[in-house]
Amino acid sequence: MSDSSRDTDYLQLEIYPGRLLNPDTAEVLLNEIAELDGVIRFFVHGPRIPKTVPYGPATGETVNHPSRRVIMVAGQEMDLEVSVGGIRLEVTDADVKENIREICDKLLPFSYEFREGLFIPTTQTVTDYAKRGPDADPLLLGMTDPKGKLRNKPVCILNKKDSE
Amino acid sequence: MAYKPQFYPGATSVAENRRKHMSGKVEKLRDISDDDLTLVLGHRAPGSDYPSTHPPLAEMGEPDDSIRQLVEATPGAKAGDRVRYVQFVDSMYNGPSVPYFRSYNAAINFRGVDPGTLSGRQVVEARERDMEQLAKFQLETEMTCPALSSLRGATVHGHSLRLPEDGVMFDMLDRARKEGNNIVMHKDQVGRPIDKKVNLGKPMSDEEAAKRTTIYRVDNVAFRDDKEVIEWVHRVFDQRTIYGFKPMNV
Repeated sequence: MSDSSRDTDYLQLEIYPGRLLNPDTAEVLLNEIAELDGVIRFFVHGPRIPKTVPYGPATGETVNHPSRRVIMVAGQEMDLEVSVGGIRLEVTDADVKENIREICDKLLPFSYEFREGLFIPTTQTVTDYAKRGPDADPLLLGMTDPKGKLRNKPVCILNKKDSE
Repeated sequence: MAYKPQFYPGATSVAENRRKHMSGKVEKLRDISDDDLTLVLGHRAPGSDYPSTHPPLAEMGEPDDSIRQLVEATPGAKAGDRVRYVQFVDSMYNGPSVPYFRSYNAAINFRGVDPGTLSGRQVVEARERDMEQLAKFQLETEMTCPALSSLRGATVHGHSLRLPEDGVMFDMLDRARKEGNNIVMHKDQVGRPIDKKVNLGKPMSDEEAAKRTTIYRVDNVAFRDDKEVIEWVHRVFDQRTIYGFKPMNV
């Protein structure tokens, strides 16, 4: 197996708001973060919102949840499949971290937790290997939806052309 | 002197609310019509007769029995109604009730009900008209806040999640929405769209929810603040352990 691990000095951060974000707030926050220099990658997570009722007597009925919609982040469409409950990021250094904290202070109208830690895997798992093969891009490590199907594009890559 | 049930120990607002829920002496806050209730429960069409599972008891010629003489059947059982359910979910962010106290309320104040108590949801099974009577009581009184409590027959996820920005407990099936100052249900309790929207009334403010909740929380009324409750919880745990292990020592 080839090495698809990432061994860097980048910081990993998590923004954990006191409330689940509605798509409008998430869109503004993510756009401000995406415009910052020094943000390597980020993803959102939270409780899943299905398109159709998955079980029970109403199985198959369309849900039409207002939190499930397409938002524009850095000029690209991002189909929100979750209610945004947290944002995990990888940034280059502590200055960027402080910039992100300022953005959160400015945009979030309620309390939030902001912490540094290890939130994105740095070594690929057997599942990663099975899904993406031996020569996977290390930048995609830990960025896929564990419950997503590959055919549904379980990762949204922003500014890929710029990074190349 | 006649025995007067005490229901629950404690001097805090949470203990007082728990006593209210158990005794059934709760404040009525809103009106929900019978047709609206039938719509959101989703078991039959509003205005239709109650489907029955057996003939009325009076026509069945039941054998004479001392228990039948002692215990009168509930209206639902007398009519032969089907057994149907109502299921509530309460947010842990100061939801007014919790599964245990919904069950206590049902078991103490209503007859012929079968409450099921789970960590995040509470279900009551009963004959249909008996169940509707209980559901109406719990929905119309301070036991329910339309934003922090919800009727959820299936897909109950939400009670332990952070609240969304509008303060309405997360529901992945989007059964209720905040429209203006009111919470409106546009799907029944299992997520099927219903013919007309049902207005469940105004949500409680943060302060009111904190005042009416039966949940001990460190950011409101902490469990450890209620000395009498702690004392009785310790006593119950201590004595049931001793009775189970060495009853001769008690």
